[in-house]
Amino acid sequence: MEHLTAETFDQNARRALSDPVLHGALRHLADNFAERRKVAMGSVDDWEGLREKARAIKQETLLHLDKYLLQFVEKAEKAGVKFHWARDGREACQIVLDLVNERGAKIVVKSKSMATEEIHLNDALEENGIEPVETDLGEWIIQLAGETPSHIVVPAIHKTKAQIADLFVEKVGIDKTGDVDVLTKTARRILRKRFAEAQVGISGVNFGVAETGTILILENEGNIRLTTGLPKTHIAVMGIEKIIPKFADLDVFLKLLPRSGTGQRLTAYQSFITGVKKNADDEGPNEIHIVLMDNGRSRMLAHPVTRQSLACIRCGACLNACPVYQQIGGHAYGSVYPGPIGAVITPQLVGLSKAKQLPYASSLCGACREVCPVKIDIPELLLHLRAEITDGTAGGAAANPERKRKFAESLAFRMYGFAWSGQLSYGLGIKAARIMQKLIVRDGKIGKASGFLAKLLPPLGAWTAWRDAPAVAPKSFREEWRKTLRSNGGN
Amino acid sequence: MAETSSTISATQNGSAREAILASIRRSLATSEPFDAAWSEHHGHAAISAPVVDPVFSRDKLIENFRNNLELLGAQFALVSSETAASEHVNAVIDKLGAKRIAISDSALVKRLVDESAIEFVENAPASFLFDCDLGVTSAQWAIAETGTLVLESEKESHRLTSLIPPVHLCVLTASNVRQTMGEILELAGKDLSKTMTFITGASRTSDIELTLAIGVHGPGELHVIVIADQ
Amino acid sequence: MKVSLFITCLVDQLCPNVGISTVEVLRRVGCEVVFDERQTCCGQPAFNTGYRKEAQKFAKRFIEIFEESDADAIVSPSGSCAAMVKHFHELFPEDETWRHRAENTAAKTHELGAFLVNVLKIEDVGASSSGRITWHDACHGLRDLGIRDEPRRLLKNVKGVEFVELANADVCCGFGGTFSVKYPEISAGILDNKIEAIENADVRAVISCDSSCLMQIGGRLSRLNSKVRTMHLAEILAAQE
Repeated sequence: MEHLTAETFDQNARRALSDPVLHGALRHLADNFAERRKVAMGSVDDWEGLREKARAIKQETLLHLDKYLLQFVEKAEKAGVKFHWARDGREACQIVLDLVNERGAKIVVKSKSMATEEIHLNDALEENGIEPVETDLGEWIIQLAGETPSHIVVPAIHKTKAQIADLFVEKVGIDKTGDVDVLTKTARRILRKRFAEAQVGISGVNFGVAETGTILILENEGNIRLTTGLPKTHIAVMGIEKIIPKFADLDVFLKLLPRSGTGQRLTAYQSFITGVKKNADDEGPNEIHIVLMDNGRSRMLAHPVTRQSLACIRCGACLNACPVYQQIGGHAYGSVYPGPIGAVITPQLVGLSKAKQLPYASSLCGACREVCPVKIDIPELLLHLRAEITDGTAGGAAANPERKRKFAESLAFRMYGFAWSGQLSYGLGIKAARIMQKLIVRDGKIGKASGFLAKLLPPLGAWTAWRDAPAVAPKSFREEWRKTLRSNGGN
Repeated sequence: MAETSSTISATQNGSAREAILASIRRSLATSEPFDAAWSEHHGHAAISAPVVDPVFSRDKLIENFRNNLELLGAQFALVSSETAASEHVNAVIDKLGAKRIAISDSALVKRLVDESAIEFVENAPASFLFDCDLGVTSAQWAIAETGTLVLESEKESHRLTSLIPPVHLCVLTASNVRQTMGEILELAGKDLSKTMTFITGASRTSDIELTLAIGVHGPGELHVIVIADQ
Repeated sequence: MKVSLFITCLVDQLCPNVGISTVEVLRRVGCEVVFDERQTCCGQPAFNTGYRKEAQKFAKRFIEIFEESDADAIVSPSGSCAAMVKHFHELFPEDETWRHRAENTAAKTHELGAFLVNVLKIEDVGASSSGRITWHDACHGLRDLGIRDEPRRLLKNVKGVEFVELANADVCCGFGGTFSVKYPEISAGILDNKIEAIENADVRAVISCDSSCLMQIGGRLSRLNSKVRTMHLAEILAAQE
């Protein structure tokens, strides 16, 4: 599968912006989300109190992650779960491959798991002769299309109904239809056959409870219940940050996650799995394996600002609220984690140098922080990463040894820092600008910069491509103050 | 990814575990000098007083449950006896024209179904379930505030019967209905089954243009019968 | 009440009328206004682009200058610059003394509208103008400083104007500092949603408390030859037409 990468973000974004079909789909998402969220928040008492509780629970867990992880493992092992530790994605893929091969399975059914997308598990399985079948409708659609998800919760949101209908005609062989029910029932029919054949089911995990060794997985479709209930072997891939301390804590997250993610009070199904069945002829898999994956997560604990990244419960609310995501969609980010949370965790997962544009692709508006159910301060994180990329001054594990300040930009900011930290040089600089701008100011403003000027001063070119720019005023405020305002104080 | 015939050994697993734990501890130590100053500016909006859940009468609980179930599009019936429940079960079967019916091993369900009329298969294997018209189970608890059914795997074998057939008919007694999720988590948490399942309405998706479609992988139709206790 | 003006480099150089209006409004409601000419910039552009060493220089200069003032409050006609002052403490992660000095300075710093309503408890500044107007919630003012009600109350008391609520008033205009020139296409796309809402509102002016937003919105309105103008909160509050 050929995927866009974060390194070509600016090109990806430009291409996305010129796609009117995508634009329509994203507009629909933004409008729909705003409405649903309002309703959902109104259906619970003390939304802000819940958010703070959730933030505090996550913070406490992360500050003692090793302890809670070990408690979780101990409890779950007692209940018959087998654990496998994976330092990185390659190791996680290898573990899953080995488990599948040892059982001689050729087909696995998968439910939606961002962690498995992160490590490109499907590619690893396919390369080794195993067929992974995505069973979540959105994931199955993008699997058919050979694409990656463009959203954490609604993976095929970038596709219109018509595009999906065409895809079904091509890949599944049904007649073209605009009826969503027909499309859905087609998926149901086809995927049930796969469920019946598969010996292994692979899922993700939403929450792991340290107190009881329980894993909780939420869904609407029923494919997770099938994936974790029908095949003889269940493998769950779980990021180490998914732990919460107590069973009762789930109440807080069950109130926040569905509302934030899809505007529902509760999703259709929750599966609380605590170990393997007692008797051989009981329902359910004979064995449960949990792959505990680090893949860059433990490093994020090294600074309080970056540690917040690990509180994420993958609700997707920040994507829905983000004006940048609304313009460009998920694929432009070149990562399975797009949008605001993607902009901060992708550089930390793949390395700052491979994703150094992402922290800058934000206007810092803070809408994401406002909607985040666990109160992650994403703008603060973005600024932290920008400082890391530029300067290495923010400190902590995000330290990027390969940082390179862009020469011209660095020079400009150093000059600004130098010139404007003194009153005299500040004044002189402005006087100079006032003189030079006479070349380009017309009617008190600056219109579209000519090709030459745009090349000479790229920021001016970029600004004036769409907007007029104001001129430096003939008389500054401080000059006005000195001449008139100061003495007109009269109180 | 290179193909490999070696599998990950226990030793490798052990050293991965130690490496991850060490990385966690090292990172937390690195963060420590900055934690206090950062905490001063984050969170700590006075955590509100614990919400005291109002206490509801049995009747009000059932009414809440009904309202929330119906909001989800599920069918609800309140009956006063097992006889009445049985009649209602038959009515649903008739209405569906159901021929192949799977039931769980619940004693209550077995009392309610009339085995002389139609064949019911108890604890059916998946192959039967995939072809059947209706699955009948009971539920151990229900959550009124969300219209949720709570199924505990240690108490009944209903995991697949409640999932695979296109219609799910669920019976429970009124005394097992509680208002809040918190209450249920506490009750169930005392003796956790291997699998506890919460069911809130029919299987659904909005993956295609955010348009709601019902009945994806789980049942598209849900019927709930509550038997009022004497 | 003695107020020390934090005028911001943007207002000083590009829209001095905003500063002049700010002085007028504050004096009209009875404040003694002083302006320390040594001030330059709060350093927000440096901080936002990741140049923390430079940002720290600006922060220290700002703190030192304003610490010397005996004014009761530091007031600024910019939500984002006032918010920057609140963030100064982040520039001193390893220096507790400077951190506390930053926090003390931040405690005295207010955006103009918030100062009028929350500190002076004034919602009617005796302004008068005309026509339909609307308010754009500048992001830093809204989300960093919690400013939402205050400007609306002030605007509703301007005699002669009809205040209308802008659809999606609280959605970003797309400026974001260097974002507007690093990713100008995305910035323009976000901006066009804002322009669409403004056109649908059928107003003669859109008001905000951030000159950078006004530059972004105004620059596009101007390029589109729109009749709608942008005005700063200070300017309409100073108006006595």
